[in-house]
Order: sequence, then structure tokens, then C-alpha cells
Amino acid sequence: MSADKKAGLNRRAFLKVSTGVAAAGAGVVLPGKGFAAGGKPLATLIDLSRCDGCPGKEIPACVGACRTINRDKIPKIHEPIPEPWPRKTIEDWSKKREVFNRLTPYNFIYVHQAEIDDRGQKRTVFVPRRCMHCDNPACATICPFSANHKYENGAVVIDQELCFGGAKCKTVCPWAIPQRQSGVGIYLHILPSLAGNGVMYKCDLCNDRLREGKLPGCVEACPQQAMLIGNRKEIYALAEERARAMKGFIYGKKENGGTATLYVSPVSFSALNGTMKKQPGTPDMGPAERRMAKTDKMGKAVLQAPLYGIAVGVAGAFMALSRRKDRVKGGDDSHE
Amino acid sequence: MSDKILNDRGLVIRHDLIELVEHWAIALSGLLLLVTGIFELPMANRYYITSLPGLSWSGDFITSLYIHYIASVVFIAAAVFHLLYHGILGEGGMIPRRGDLKSSIEVMKSFFGKGEEPPFHKYLPEQRLAYVGMAFIIAMLILSGLVKTYKNLYAPDMSLTLVLWATWTHNIFFMLFIMAFVAHIGAILLKPNRPMIRGIFTGTVRLDYARHRHPLWIKEMDPRPVDEIKMKLEPVDKV
Repeated sequence: MSADKKAGLNRRAFLKVSTGVAAAGAGVVLPGKGFAAGGKPLATLIDLSRCDGCPGKEIPACVGACRTINRDKIPKIHEPIPEPWPRKTIEDWSKKREVFNRLTPYNFIYVHQAEIDDRGQKRTVFVPRRCMHCDNPACATICPFSANHKYENGAVVIDQELCFGGAKCKTVCPWAIPQRQSGVGIYLHILPSLAGNGVMYKCDLCNDRLREGKLPGCVEACPQQAMLIGNRKEIYALAEERARAMKGFIYGKKENGGTATLYVSPVSFSALNGTMKKQPGTPDMGPAERRMAKTDKMGKAVLQAPLYGIAVGVAGAFMALSRRKDRVKGGDDSHE
Repeated sequence: MSDKILNDRGLVIRHDLIELVEHWAIALSGLLLLVTGIFELPMANRYYITSLPGLSWSGDFITSLYIHYIASVVFIAAAVFHLLYHGILGEGGMIPRRGDLKSSIEVMKSFFGKGEEPPFHKYLPEQRLAYVGMAFIIAMLILSGLVKTYKNLYAPDMSLTLVLWATWTHNIFFMLFIMAFVAHIGAILLKPNRPMIRGIFTGTVRLDYARHRHPLWIKEMDPRPVDEIKMKLEPVDKV
């Protein structure tokens, strides 16, 4: 078996899938042991032409698998939850754990049902939504405690032992993905009323499972193989291939400066976005600029700043030395 | 360094223009870094700072970061300039000397009426110690800040160990920077130190003050016997 096939990339099978020909078991990318741990960048593909929302199931398979895996992730909530001061926002989902139709600290993925009028035809498209695992995620890079980190394999993971729940990551995320649970985390042991407010939770791409050579729960559980994970370059190529074959569209390639999650859809994302209302826990699919890009130019100037100091410092010192020498020489001359 | 006694004006040049520009570039950009650094914590919105007139931007982390970057350019360039410029010119008046720690304790005691101050050079022993402390804090802030900036721009998936080192070094030295800043302001507010305040604004201090408190510095500039100088300076001393 070739390396590509071992990694699960059977392109012919993918094309069959994308053109509607059944190919059970094809197209699932198996990372294999060491694949993710070796730091190779991964990407996931979510093929909306394949997702059917799991009809007949109470909870879509991807959502159910994710909930099972992360069931015991959040420790016991401190009762009563300390009241933050002066803004008294408490977010407690511990008594609403059953909610699965939006993102919550207990639910990292949900499936949006979009009713689309596609060229005069009514069509239902199911859109699994979770963290996009951005290429340059502001949620991680500007986390004040580096509690949120992007790993070499592309997974953006919040360390719940280090997170203070300030929700900065949610504020800077174009989709406001991370969700807060108050009453847990390190802040309880420091100044619970004055700083911090819980822990932020979101999809971590099942990074622990990836390290063990397993698939993320959602990818593994999908009965339609609508979700794939694999080598980033190959997933990107595959997304292009599928989009071409279905004359469809891609979302996630450029959004927020690029992500490790590519959606491929037979209907446009502007049409899909029209069915979505951006509100807490339910992100939209609109254009998402990378706001941090505005700071890149100045960031580069910061990295160059030591050189500015060196150039001016050395030049200035030698000019001063030269003046000093002239003064001494002038003084000597006057003695002659 | 262009320290000079201006007998006719009763002043001593303590800082030249370059030193004044350096000090204020580092002080003002440092202050801006301190404020925007605080705004990088999710506090402005929680503490209603965003509601204060002119501070609505404080809750916008990207705007704060942009201002933090602008201030960093000035701060880093000025700090590196300072190190190289004075290093090349061999101006080491602020480098601690043997016995500075002991002398500093004596000086501190004298502030509270215990004992007398020893005669000073241009800088007080605790100033020299504080300088090294502040320089170390600034160096660590710059180093960790550069790593963080590089990560933001080019390597978001940088090794977690390095990221954690840079982040926590930046955070810890940020706290130390605040404390050092408060101590710096506190020190210049002490009565015996107040005559030095004008020096950092105008570059000059009063000659009578310098003669009284910094005789070793004056001696470096004017090696004549002190009695002779005192006689000449009688009118100035009475100012």
C-alpha cells in the first residue's frame, strides 16, 4: 500500500463519493501512529454534499461522538459560582448540558440545517459547525496566558488548567467559537471575583486521539464519510477536486487568513450564510477577514526595531567620538 | 555626556539632549506599553474602562495590540540605542560600583533620619542599582516580546515550551516593570531627591544642590579644592 493510500487518500473513491456513487468506507483518512504526533500539518474536509444530518437519529453522529468523548472534560462546578465584579456576567451551562443545537462548553459541534432555494429547487443542506482551527488563530496567539495554543499538526487547543475564562479568544474569533463555563478553573484559586471567570471550551480536534493515531470522534463517527482528515496539502487538493467535480464552493480556505477546515458545498456559502443568524453559540458563514492582519506591518517594524537602535546608536556614537577627537585636537592645537 | 558647571547661571548640566530624548522615549513608550499591555488582558470591558470618555478602544484587543506594537518600536530602538551609544562612548556612570548595596542601605536610612548621607557621585548608589534592575527588566520584556511578536507574525505553532516561556516571562516582568516604575516615581518624590526632577526635564540641576549632595561628581568636573570653590560660590549657596 502506498503512503498516500495508507494515509487513506483514495482519490478515485473520493471522486466517486463526490459524484454521488456510493463508496462505503472510502475517503476516510487515517492519520496512523506518529502521523499527527510528528507535527505534520493536518486539515479536515467537511463535504456538505454528503452530510445528511443523520436522519432518524436523535443527535447527529458527529455531535454524539464528540459529546461522548468530552463527557467528563469539565470538572465539577464550584457552587455557588463566584460573582464576578464589577460586571456580573456568569455563564453556567452545567444545568443545560443536554443542549446540542448550538455551541456550548458541553457541546463543541452542532449541525445547522439550511433550507435553500437552489435555482428554484428547495434543498436542505446540513452544516456541521465547530472550531475552524485557523492557520494563524488570534484566539491562541494573543491569549494573555498562552492557555490556547496552535500545535504543529494544526489543532488549536485550550489548556483548561491554564485558562482564566476571560473570553478574549471568543472576542477575537470571527465566529465567536469558544464558550465559557463559569465556576471552574484556575481563577477560583486566585482572585475569583476580580480576575477570570471560568474556562473557555471548544473543539480541540481530538488532539489527544490524534496523538494516539486515532481519528477525531466526529470524523470517525460520520456514517456518510462527510468529514475527512489528513495531510493538509492533500486535503486542500482534494477539496479543490471535489469542488470542481460538483461545480461547488469552498469555505475556510481564505477565511480568517486560512484555516485547517475546508467546507465543500454544492450551494454557495453566501446562500448558506443567508440561512444563518450570527448569535451566541451559532456562528455564521460570512466573509471573515483576519483582523490581526492590520497589525502585521507594525509587528514587522517591532522585529526590526533592534536594528534601528543599532544603526542609530553606532552612527551616533562614532559621530560623538569624532567630535570628541576634534575637541581634543583643537585643545592640543591651542597649546601649540 | 556633557556634564558641565555653569557657574554664571548657578547650574550644572546633568543630562545632554540625547540622554533626555532617550529617557523620555523609553519612559513615554514604556508607559504606553504598560497601559496597552493591561488592555491586552480582558479587563477593559469587565471594568467598564470602555465606558470612559476617549477609552472606548480599550476593549478592542487588536487596536491595543497595534498601539502596543507602535510603542514597542520606540521602546526597543531607544533601549538598544542607549546600550550601544553609551557603551561605545564608555559612559558607565550608572553601572553599579563596589559597595553600592551597603551605601544604598545607609542612604535609605538617612531618608528616615538615621545617620547622614555619604557624599555622592553623579548618581546615587541606589540609582545605579535600580538602573541595572530596570535594565534587566527591560531586556527581558524586549526579548520575550520579540519572541511573542515573531510567533504572532510567522510562527503561531511555535513550540509550546518557548511560547509559555515568552508569555510568562513577559507577564512576570510586566508586573516587575510596574513595580519598578512605581518605585522610580516614589524615589523622585522623596524630599532629598526632588532637586533632581528638574534635571530630567531641563537637563540641569542647581549647582548648590550638586555641590552639597554630589561633591564627588563636582570634583570630577572641577578638581579644585572644595574650600576654594565654596568661597567663590558663596552668593549662589544663599539662593
